[in-house]
Amino acid sequence: MAFWRIKNVRIAGVAACVPKNIVRTSDIELFTPEEAETFDKTVGIKQRRIAPADVCASDMCQAASERLLSELGWKKESVDALIFESVTGDYRTPPTACLLQDRMGLSENCFCLDLPMGCCGCMYAMTVAGNLLQAGTIKRALLLVGDTALRMGSMKDKSRVPLFGDAGTAMALEYDENAKPVVIEFHTDGSGYKALMTPHGGFRHPFTAESLVEEDFGHGIVRAPMHTLIEGMSVFSFAISKPPRSVQDFMEREGIDKDQDIDYFLIHQANKLIVDRVVKKLKLPLDKVPYNLEEFGNLGGASIPSLMVTRLRERLQSDNPTRLLCSSFGLGLSWGTMFLDVQRLVIPELIEI
Amino acid sequence: MSENIKKLNDIFVEVFGEVSDRLGDDFSKENVDEWDSVHQLNIVSLIEDNFDLMLDPEDIVACTSYNASKDILRKYDVEI
Repeated sequence: MAFWRIKNVRIAGVAACVPKNIVRTSDIELFTPEEAETFDKTVGIKQRRIAPADVCASDMCQAASERLLSELGWKKESVDALIFESVTGDYRTPPTACLLQDRMGLSENCFCLDLPMGCCGCMYAMTVAGNLLQAGTIKRALLLVGDTALRMGSMKDKSRVPLFGDAGTAMALEYDENAKPVVIEFHTDGSGYKALMTPHGGFRHPFTAESLVEEDFGHGIVRAPMHTLIEGMSVFSFAISKPPRSVQDFMEREGIDKDQDIDYFLIHQANKLIVDRVVKKLKLPLDKVPYNLEEFGNLGGASIPSLMVTRLRERLQSDNPTRLLCSSFGLGLSWGTMFLDVQRLVIPELIEI
Repeated sequence: MSENIKKLNDIFVEVFGEVSDRLGDDFSKENVDEWDSVHQLNIVSLIEDNFDLMLDPEDIVACTSYNASKDILRKYDVEI
């Protein structure tokens, strides 16, 4: 089983950056006013932040991490590892983490790594960074998680355009022998890969003239093979079945009582239909399940750190320990569960650029 | 018309507008252009709320026509 109990690693802080530009569902030309209203009510994503074309995920992650480093009082040369988790890096090559090392003025001794893992991105980055840090040979790591997912798809694809928002987040991790363990578990079902994919542009189907040829799939979906697609019903069916079952198994194995032992459940903010259903299946108390999808949409891997910044900032900054149970699911298909026990986090106010 | 059929028809009217006259064998994802995944999930949510059910994922995916919704309700022992 892909399971870790990561010791000696403390989350020191978390920051998030979003574009200033707000796009309401009613602003999306693909929708009639009635459809926009139905979408807001059903899917629950009423607005999202969309970056201008010259702003990349790495820019927002950089802004978040610069502010976080400043508020933590960490010198840049003290950062031993930088992980950039995104499916919307600056270039196909080189790794964006290497570009960020230079742009941010980090040390040449900094270990830099890209992870393109989608909606479970925060958990993947935590798993890798946690395992890098726990031996104590390196002391500090930055996890940068962000995406500009809208621009991966067709702007004529009604099934995808309204779902995503843009954001960049940063988490600061530090070696600390007094830290409470971070517990993480992962699962993968690659047989479902076609539910969330970009057919052309890799080396299986390189980019050609054919990649640009649009097809009308009906129901408001027009896209070309270069565009990322989402098979809504397949993703929905996956998201409401496997992740909640894994959360249940995780709690049973760890002896976690959902009513007594967890302060907040952070569920990947895919859409309201999915999150509501996960809540219902797990019989979670609603006051322990923060949502921010109505304001920011699906932020991919940045969903969980963005919840920490936008909905739990005051509590997580306080002296009170806060126990978080997180559930993510997405590309691959992959899904994971993570338990965090945190306190006194440094959390700058939400940054807008 | 049974009470449950009326409840189901009201759900389709709420989701698709005034379609009472069209609800029959041909009312399906293939024949109704507005029937996208949002509409389908909306139907499912309303069926669950109105009939006090929790549908399995495979039934949610299979709910692609008016007739299919009736079959699914029967599967959950709803008289229809």
